[in-house]
Amino acid sequence: MDVHLDTAPEDALVSRSARGDEQAFGVLVERYKGMLYSMAYRLMKDRGRAEDAAQESLIKAWAALPGFKGESKFSSWLYRICYNTCISELRKRRPEVELEEAMGVETTGPVEECRNRDMQTVIQDEVSKLPDDYRAAVTLFHFNGMSYDEIAEMTHKPMGTVKAHIHRARALLKTRLLERVGWENLKEVMWQ
Amino acid sequence: MKCEDYQGLLQDYVTRQLDPARRRLVDAHLLECADCQRELAVLTALVSALDHQPVSEPSAAFAEKVLANLPRQRAFVPSPWWALALAPVLATLAFLFRTPVASALSRLLDRLPNVPVQLPSFTASQVALFVAVALGFGLLVSAGAAYWCWQVWLRD
Repeated sequence: MDVHLDTAPEDALVSRSARGDEQAFGVLVERYKGMLYSMAYRLMKDRGRAEDAAQESLIKAWAALPGFKGESKFSSWLYRICYNTCISELRKRRPEVELEEAMGVETTGPVEECRNRDMQTVIQDEVSKLPDDYRAAVTLFHFNGMSYDEIAEMTHKPMGTVKAHIHRARALLKTRLLERVGWENLKEVMWQ
Repeated sequence: MKCEDYQGLLQDYVTRQLDPARRRLVDAHLLECADCQRELAVLTALVSALDHQPVSEPSAAFAEKVLANLPRQRAFVPSPWWALALAPVLATLAFLFRTPVASALSRLLDRLPNVPVQLPSFTASQVALFVAVALGFGLLVSAGAAYWCWQVWLRD
């Protein structure tokens, strides 16, 4: 790979990729793969499917790059493609997910284990149990650093709804975390 | 305002989404309310943890798989705007070649067996104009449809 490409500014990489430069696109893939995979995993709760969705998003982005006019940030554009790919995939497998939920498949360990686990793992575990809309909104806001406006545009929901989803998600997380680990533990681990 | 009202504002206070006037109100209340101070501490800790969630790395072969699966040729997607620009070009071409276009069309009409109605006679320029409008409109509709399909594919 061209050594200069690794340090090239994002705008230059995007225009070169739009003109068909696969090496430049490879650098963008390296830069964004972690964020896209993590975002997909938070939305889909399945590592294999998250990886497939993140890969599909990047392939879609490559195909659509000649039409990217730079009206939004490249990252926001990429997150939008990833979000839509994940949501579409989630809709396709909805019956399977409902079956798992109906059978009471547990994704977490016993409460005692929580104290010994990394707090971020506990938080991710609780985020993964939020309703789909809440989980998506809280992920886009906190993890992807998007504003209420951007999330509303991406999810095709009114800004008030997005804000309400994020507020309720935080309220649920707060209650569940306090129940699971208690305030003293929460405070201790979170401020480390 | 009661504590519940202030606590309803605390999430926006922590994420700095509160306007300055309400922020000052909350600041003043926090100075004298231990319950709200505790609520603020919990929310601050939670928001901080949510903001600093770690980025997970996909499998080692991730980037390689993406690059190996890139389509070698990108699909040509006509934009409705290009079609809009092409329509007058086609109209001009049809007007310039109005005589051969009109005679080709009348030969075609002559071959149709037993046309039930008497077609009015058009001049070559009129026929060329109809053809140009039909071509331009058809092109615009097809490009719009292709562009819409492309957007749907991107969304899904």
